[in-house]
Amino acid sequence: MVELKNVDVHYNDGLKGGIDALNDVNIRINDGEFVFIVGNSGAGKSTLLKLLTREIQPTSGRVFVNDYNLSKLRNRKLPYFRRGLGMIFQDFRLIPNLTVYENVAFVLRATDQSKKYIRQRVPYVLNLVKLGEKAKCYPSQLSGGEQQRVAIARAFACDPKIIIADEPTGNIDPELSYEIVELLKDINECGTTIIMVTHDHQIVKHFGGRIINLKNGSVDYDNYIEGEYLL
Amino acid sequence: MRMSNFNFLVKKGVSSVFRNTMMSFASFCVLLVSLFLVSLSTLVALDISVILSNIEEKNEIEVFVYGDVEETVLTHITDAININANTDNVFFYSKEEAWADQQASMPDVAELFDYLEENPMPHTFRVTVKDISLISQTADEFATIEGVEKVVAPYDFASALVDIRSTLTFIGVALLAVMILTSIIIIYNSIRSSVFARQKELNIMKVVGATNAFIKIPFFIEGMFIGIVAGAASWFITKITYEAVVGLFKENLEIWQIFGLVEVISFDSVTWIVLAANCILGALLGAIGTVISTAKYLKV
Repeated sequence: MVELKNVDVHYNDGLKGGIDALNDVNIRINDGEFVFIVGNSGAGKSTLLKLLTREIQPTSGRVFVNDYNLSKLRNRKLPYFRRGLGMIFQDFRLIPNLTVYENVAFVLRATDQSKKYIRQRVPYVLNLVKLGEKAKCYPSQLSGGEQQRVAIARAFACDPKIIIADEPTGNIDPELSYEIVELLKDINECGTTIIMVTHDHQIVKHFGGRIINLKNGSVDYDNYIEGEYLL
Repeated sequence: MRMSNFNFLVKKGVSSVFRNTMMSFASFCVLLVSLFLVSLSTLVALDISVILSNIEEKNEIEVFVYGDVEETVLTHITDAININANTDNVFFYSKEEAWADQQASMPDVAELFDYLEENPMPHTFRVTVKDISLISQTADEFATIEGVEKVVAPYDFASALVDIRSTLTFIGVALLAVMILTSIIIIYNSIRSSVFARQKELNIMKVVGATNAFIKIPFFIEGMFIGIVAGAASWFITKITYEAVVGLFKENLEIWQIFGLVEVISFDSVTWIVLAANCILGALLGAIGTVISTAKYLKV
């Protein structure tokens, strides 16, 4: 579960008196939801994601993710909190000198999983994203779509409660974008909450579901009211 | 942390030494030069200390006794000198021995000695001291002993030796501190460049929930590995240089003996200590440099 209560984020830039990136934002995302977050550049989408991963703290208000109160989360507990999140980025962020297998195994090692579990889990998630055959390839040998699928496999490898995808279709061909979102939908059906930030209105229209539109740092539109998705 | 994951991190650390060849080589060179200079200057400082000790041992206080004193007074003086805390060795030189030596040293004028009715030489105690810096105080204490006529000690020379020793100690410690600090700064910068180049990797690690220890271990191993290799290499260069320099001194040993250089430390006798010290110091410098340089990039 994700909950933002009366959240304000103010960036100080010294001379101009700062920028209000988020103003009195209230959002609640329940377990197992698939949520699109849309909005123009500067609407506050990136700030919202940074809040959810505790890269930044709100100026005021409270943020709860997976039962953690992020305002009170101590730095030494941060890695354990982040293990409950899977991150997917527009630029994939794969480690170039590691193979596809090693890129996925890497997060399992980072979360101190056993060798036996890693040997079972990595082939499983790679098969899930249909990249079992490419386990020994390096990221540079893959297409954009394939690299993003590796990133999805990596995000899903630790079996997180929430996957946060920041413009996952931004760097890939339009026809492959649908494939990527389909994959995220499949993962969502297994019970994982997906929060996807996107600019692509076609995709949002195509898949529907819950849409949160941010405008000038505030929630301009949220089609989820009392358990119903409005159109 | 599980052993299998720890092994993975150790392998990752060692492999990144060879992956970032230029950075590793730069760190290696800096550590090599620093450790070489530190170990060579430490050996030279120890040699100087040995030489000074040799010179100090030759500094003695001469305690002259009044002409005709009873045997009991001599015993009393001997006891009083021996009881002094700064007394190291005492050598008694009797007036009879002194007179015989005096005559033996002047055979050409032997007949002149016949004109003297009495032996004019005094009994003398030659005392070497434990702490040369206290020579003046010790001489003053000897002068107060009953039956002692005069005390002679090389006050100025002793004070010069004390000054030389303390100056050299100060220079040695300052040199060591500067070299260690310089090494840490340069290692910090070279590892920081290496960390910077892998910033993306660090960022990914942080985002997926790796602990700071997990992220630091490969860098830590990398720094320590380079430090240990540089330590071993600097031991080898120190050995060659030191033995060559000592060889040059030994060729002209007679000249150097005038300055008290009778014997210097043989490298073979300290070879394992130098090897261990260089490797440990190298590993420490590498590890400290790494820890400081990674800290900045872990605040994600």
